[in-house]
Amino acid sequence: MGRYLSLLGHYFVQYAKVRLAYRGDFLISVATTLAATLFGITVVFLIFGRVKQLLGWTFYEILFLYGFSLLPMSLFSTISLNLYYFNETYIVQGKFDRVLLRPLHSLFQILFEQFRLESLSDTVLGLFLISVCAAKLNLPLGFVEWLFLGLAAVCGCIIYVAIFLMLTAVAFWMEDRVGIIPPVFNMLTFGRYPLDIYNGFVRFLLSWIVPFGFASFYPAAALLKGETYHFYGLITPLVAAVFLTLAILVWNRGVRNYSSTGS
Amino acid sequence: MPGIIEVDDLVKEFRTFERREGLIGALTNLFHRDYRTVRAVDRITFVIKPGEMVGYIGPNGAGKSTTIKMLTGILVPTSGYIRASGYIPWKQRSEYTKTIGVVFGQRTQLWWDIAVVESFQLLRRIYGVSDSDYKARMKRFDEVLELGRYLHTPVRKLSLGERMRCDAAAALLHNPPVLFLDEPTIGLDIVAKENIRAFLKQVNQEFGTTILLTTHDLSDIEELCQRLMIIDHGRLLFDGRLEELKHRLWRESTIKVDFRDREQAQRFEALSLPHIKTEKLGELTYRLTFDREERSTADVIRQVVLNADVLDIAIEEQSIEEVVKRIYLGGVFEAAAR
Repeated sequence: MGRYLSLLGHYFVQYAKVRLAYRGDFLISVATTLAATLFGITVVFLIFGRVKQLLGWTFYEILFLYGFSLLPMSLFSTISLNLYYFNETYIVQGKFDRVLLRPLHSLFQILFEQFRLESLSDTVLGLFLISVCAAKLNLPLGFVEWLFLGLAAVCGCIIYVAIFLMLTAVAFWMEDRVGIIPPVFNMLTFGRYPLDIYNGFVRFLLSWIVPFGFASFYPAAALLKGETYHFYGLITPLVAAVFLTLAILVWNRGVRNYSSTGS
Repeated sequence: MPGIIEVDDLVKEFRTFERREGLIGALTNLFHRDYRTVRAVDRITFVIKPGEMVGYIGPNGAGKSTTIKMLTGILVPTSGYIRASGYIPWKQRSEYTKTIGVVFGQRTQLWWDIAVVESFQLLRRIYGVSDSDYKARMKRFDEVLELGRYLHTPVRKLSLGERMRCDAAAALLHNPPVLFLDEPTIGLDIVAKENIRAFLKQVNQEFGTTILLTTHDLSDIEELCQRLMIIDHGRLLFDGRLEELKHRLWRESTIKVDFRDREQAQRFEALSLPHIKTEKLGELTYRLTFDREERSTADVIRQVVLNADVLDIAIEEQSIEEVVKRIYLGGVFEAAAR
């Protein structure tokens, strides 16, 4: 475990060096990432230009949810780059053979060989939004609250990783390009709004099947609304652990299948 | 002496299906597929002793890469047994991979965008090589491969020859007892080839590294390998010393004869010498092929010169390529056995 953590540090530093070497390219990426996020936030402003409340949620509460959702999302997009291109680069081009030749778990190599550094700008923006909204809402954020938010963000990232790992692992069984990743990717943003604005089916789906609700809405709501969402906020790490375990099992099976078919 | 690589009755089968063409075909594929089982490696058995350098050759699609992939633990055998440096490769992958080095000529294992030396540093940490070992090995590698000049260049900017040198060094950073190379000299110019060969020789002698390499360039084998294995259609056709192969299959000699004029040529044609295959190449040029066991070259030349007026005679060297080509074309061993 210690060895993996230290290697993670070295992988990250290496990649950061490469990325920062192309300064212009990097700065443009940061700018476009920020622009895309700000555009998303504008939508919240537009909605609340017309209504004062949305099913009992005020403007700053919604903005708080949005701000928090940026944390797990940005962590996830920082490390998910290789998952997105997994089929092309690793299976079709055969790069996965090399992964199997190194004495490190294949998942570690896939997740941490490339980083989308510019996504971390969203983390900063998220922290800023959370602080501003908390002040407006008179929500005291002490050490414990920040710790909870940090932990929840990591759990949220793990949930995203777990879901997309399972979808990516399909590539081990099917050569053909699988089209389920983009639609699920679009579902990511559902979890950043209050789940009670959706109907029961979507709510159930986002809680227990594709638990994006736990990745951002539930923990943030637990801080905002207390009582109602405490339970959900507290079991977030459990949900993350269960889905990550499932994902690793599916992944390992996939690797075994790859080894016997070589496809 | 027990082998460092032991392979017994190794089989690998793949299940493939025929893709139907066109839109309707693609739709049919979704629901119904006709599977076909292809045996890529067919009951191969061999033992490699520590410190051996073995060449593994065969035409494209013969099963070379599949064998290498099983030996390196990437693929799981359909049946049969492999034990290498004390491990079952696919079962004990994480321990096993620390004991082997692998070079794929077609693909680099270095990180594309970062400087070579940074790749080496990452590998050093992945394999847990101590700083002093790392420095000592790098110094040694540098003496033969001359890596120093491009250590600080990103891999993507290297030429193929430079990249191969770096890949070879990278595969040996952790000083593995076994090294697998899949076409290490493919696409390299003669200098780069020599360089890689010299390096492999040195590593083999100095560290006692066992080396198994596949290649299409038979001079790799002639210069490096005492032992040669030939595979085709998944079957091991030959396993032995290069000289033995030459002795068994390199018995054919060829001479090319130019006659003075048509009349002389006709005189030769009328001879019909026994055990000599005659082939007319041009108006006055003929190629004679015969088995050295049955007739000596000198005897054939004497027969020709005595009976017709000859302008020129050339003895054609048969290359090892020719021998192997005939093996690939099939039937050679059966013919030799008869």
